[in-house]
Amino acid sequence: MSIFLLLFIDIATAYSSHSSSADTAKHTNNWAVLVCTSRFWFNYRHMANTLSLYRTVKRLGIPDERIILMLADDMACNARNKYPAQVFNNENHRLNLYGDNVEVDYRGYEVTVENFLRVLTGRHETAVPRSKRLLSDEGSHILLYMTGHGGDEFLKFQDSEELQSHDLADAVKQMKEKRRFKELLIMVDTCQAATLFNQLHSPGVLAIGSSMKGENSYSHHLDSDVGVSVVDRFTFYTLAFFERLNMYANASLSSLFTSYDPKTMMSTAYYRTDLYQRRLDEVPVTNFFGSVMETIHTDSAYRATPRKMSNRAGISMAVEKTAQDDDRRTLIDSDVQDPTSHTMTKDQNCPFTRTMNTFFEKVERIEHPDSLVNYGLVLMLPLLMVSVWLSS
Amino acid sequence: MPKTETETPKMKPRPIVRLGIFLISHSLLVCVVCCTAGVLALLLLPLLAKSTYISENALMPGSASSMISNRDISEANRLASDLSGLNFEPQDAAALESRGILTKYMSDLGAEVSYHKFHHKPNQFHPLHFFSSPDSTSSVDNFSCSAQGVNTVGIIRAPRGDGKEAIVLVTPYKFGKSGTAETLSLSIAYTVFSLLSRVTWLAKDIIWLVADSQYGEYAPVEAWLRDYHTPVFTGLGALNADTCIKIDDLYALEQKPIVQTKISDGFRRAGTMAAALIFKVADRNELLEDTLNIYAEASNGQMPNLDLINIVNYLAVHRQGLRVKVEKVLSLLDSRWLEILGEIFEVLGKVARSLNPGWKFGISAADYVEGSATLASSLYNQALGIPTGPHGAFRDFQVDAITLEISPKVSSHNKARYNEFLLRGGRSINNLLEKFHQSFFLYMLTSPSKFVSVGVYMIAFALLVAPLPLVAASLYADANQLDLGVKNTKSTTTAPDELDITFRSWKWLYAAKEVFLVHVWGAAVSLLPYFI
Repeated sequence: MSIFLLLFIDIATAYSSHSSSADTAKHTNNWAVLVCTSRFWFNYRHMANTLSLYRTVKRLGIPDERIILMLADDMACNARNKYPAQVFNNENHRLNLYGDNVEVDYRGYEVTVENFLRVLTGRHETAVPRSKRLLSDEGSHILLYMTGHGGDEFLKFQDSEELQSHDLADAVKQMKEKRRFKELLIMVDTCQAATLFNQLHSPGVLAIGSSMKGENSYSHHLDSDVGVSVVDRFTFYTLAFFERLNMYANASLSSLFTSYDPKTMMSTAYYRTDLYQRRLDEVPVTNFFGSVMETIHTDSAYRATPRKMSNRAGISMAVEKTAQDDDRRTLIDSDVQDPTSHTMTKDQNCPFTRTMNTFFEKVERIEHPDSLVNYGLVLMLPLLMVSVWLSS
Repeated sequence: MPKTETETPKMKPRPIVRLGIFLISHSLLVCVVCCTAGVLALLLLPLLAKSTYISENALMPGSASSMISNRDISEANRLASDLSGLNFEPQDAAALESRGILTKYMSDLGAEVSYHKFHHKPNQFHPLHFFSSPDSTSSVDNFSCSAQGVNTVGIIRAPRGDGKEAIVLVTPYKFGKSGTAETLSLSIAYTVFSLLSRVTWLAKDIIWLVADSQYGEYAPVEAWLRDYHTPVFTGLGALNADTCIKIDDLYALEQKPIVQTKISDGFRRAGTMAAALIFKVADRNELLEDTLNIYAEASNGQMPNLDLINIVNYLAVHRQGLRVKVEKVLSLLDSRWLEILGEIFEVLGKVARSLNPGWKFGISAADYVEGSATLASSLYNQALGIPTGPHGAFRDFQVDAITLEISPKVSSHNKARYNEFLLRGGRSINNLLEKFHQSFFLYMLTSPSKFVSVGVYMIAFALLVAPLPLVAASLYADANQLDLGVKNTKSTTTAPDELDITFRSWKWLYAAKEVFLVHVWGAAVSLLPYFI
């Protein structure tokens, strides 16, 4: 009787204190993986697309150490470039995208399907440096942007390999199992882009492609000075949306997604929200495209202030993580419930399952199971004697 | 005993064997049908021509704007006036002077200038050298000192390129006795060359070959290419070529103070050639508009990649507004029966289109006549195997090249459009990463923007050739039957033995005569280019 009472009390306290499980982690940091898969001079616009997104994402706050930039070819230093070391995305040449602080993590022939999947799943060899790894955790929001030549359910890498939609779906599933992201936004700018995420089935993923099956994605304009097309239509309109924003804007994702006009884009931007629980008009774009740091001014040092429940829940922390260590992280937060933790998945709705889960976790965390069993057996003896005495 | 028991039942042979036997037995009929079908297919070819399109994505012709300034044009005019001022001097001195002037202008641009001396060999065409490279050892002996020329070669190195590939621009020029047309072509090429020395987007080196065309246009280009592709490491080759030089002449040239930089004695190279353009201005003038003539056929019927013709055609027509022409057989243009045929096809095309709007293969009668004239010329040149211009020498080394001949309008003074045209063409070829390989190599043009690919014209050819093995098989079968017949008669009678033997012993003479006649005919055909 007493052991059951003991266990019941344990379960109750565990339930009340264990406020953060895997699916209710707080959003703590933002990552961006920007991939350009085409080489050769006539694919200048794909490089310009990726570098434009890079610039936008950096401007809105994500630092270089949390951006993985994969460029398959070097357009800025190509001998055919009339403006050496400069990459433009507009014929007015107002912005040089290849300025002083561009950090390319995977360049040239390192951009392969294998390396891309290794970045996503985190399965690197031990010699790969930290700057080439996606060190995200379960509180990360990841922006994955891919551009190049693609088709029905595939994306072409470097003119010699393909990434297929089921490969991508498998990688995302592995990421979800290993809890490498909280939410993932996939943005694809290729021909027939929407087919690339046909096979996704992991929760927490939002995906938008520049065209649907059977449609091509077109370039925006030809720069007759450089002699190539310099930007694609989908990325051009994305940038037009972001150039109006700064770090503190709270434009929502739905305003971004509805800003694409099929007539001017000459293709239909299709997005998929069935795997994403939140409503798009509640999610600010800086949740993925920027990194907002909420600074709290304190008069004196080291005084912990209660955290306000604000709309912008993104607080960035530098998280140290070694390569072998991928245990779960538990956030110690006794006072406040995170507003985003209200999302409960289906199998948590049943109270019996909840109690059984907490019970099992509690049991797993017991340090000396042998001594507990011994105590239990010792306590059974008086129970036995009482029952023998009653029955006799 | 009844016969049917001892005889084995005859098995029916397989269908394809039966078809073969049927064809052979009716060989005459099949021959007639195939030949008429072949001729009809040939006549249908201009209808089946497709429009040309740019196959290589990297080319992007015309997507860049040009940057020619007036300064370049004035420099070129100065060169032209300098060169034409020499026309009044005696020829040898004029040749040397003009070479010196050209060298000075080239080296002022920063290009590397070198001379290439060659010997003119008459009667170049050896029909048996299709698969092997032209013979370099035969050039050592048996030259005559009088037939010698000097090419001037200028090379611009791409400042940020890797130096592995080059684009070649060739202008034939007669040093010493040049006409205004040749001087004009030289000045246009100089403008383009000077611009290319200053641009930042060069990825390949540029070679400008001013070919000494006093012994024809083909010889200097072919000699230069041969020496380019056969590097000599011992120095003996250079010695042999030098023995005929009037030594004091060139020495004097190199010592002249106008030549500041040292002229290279050795042979300068620039890597593999991506493409070559031979540019010249024709002596005649057109009445209506500026015309560009394209010559594409190379030696032994080889053609350059269709993409090269496509970009030249696109740039000329859509960017510069030139009229592009390809060679035609002029006599066919007036042929009455061809016009009748064209009208028949036009009517048929209209009927087909009215039946089903999807069938759009009808063309007008005038188009048909022009197309068939162009096709006939293309067929003739490819069959004969003699190159139609100096570009033919390039194809022997697997370099795509065409000859562009400009006939400017009588009253036109706008030479800038040719500069732009060449510059845009150069920029388009500069964008290439690999040699031309995406488009067709075997084709025939029916107009500058329509072509017939090998898959289509081979049908006509196959239909014309198919009767030959059939007739051979039927003749063999007949001969077999004759043999069997003779054998049968021989087995039954023995008296005409000797007659048979003598009859059959002389038979080989007839066979030998036929074989000899065919061989003589074949030899005559293969030696035909020597006499043309």
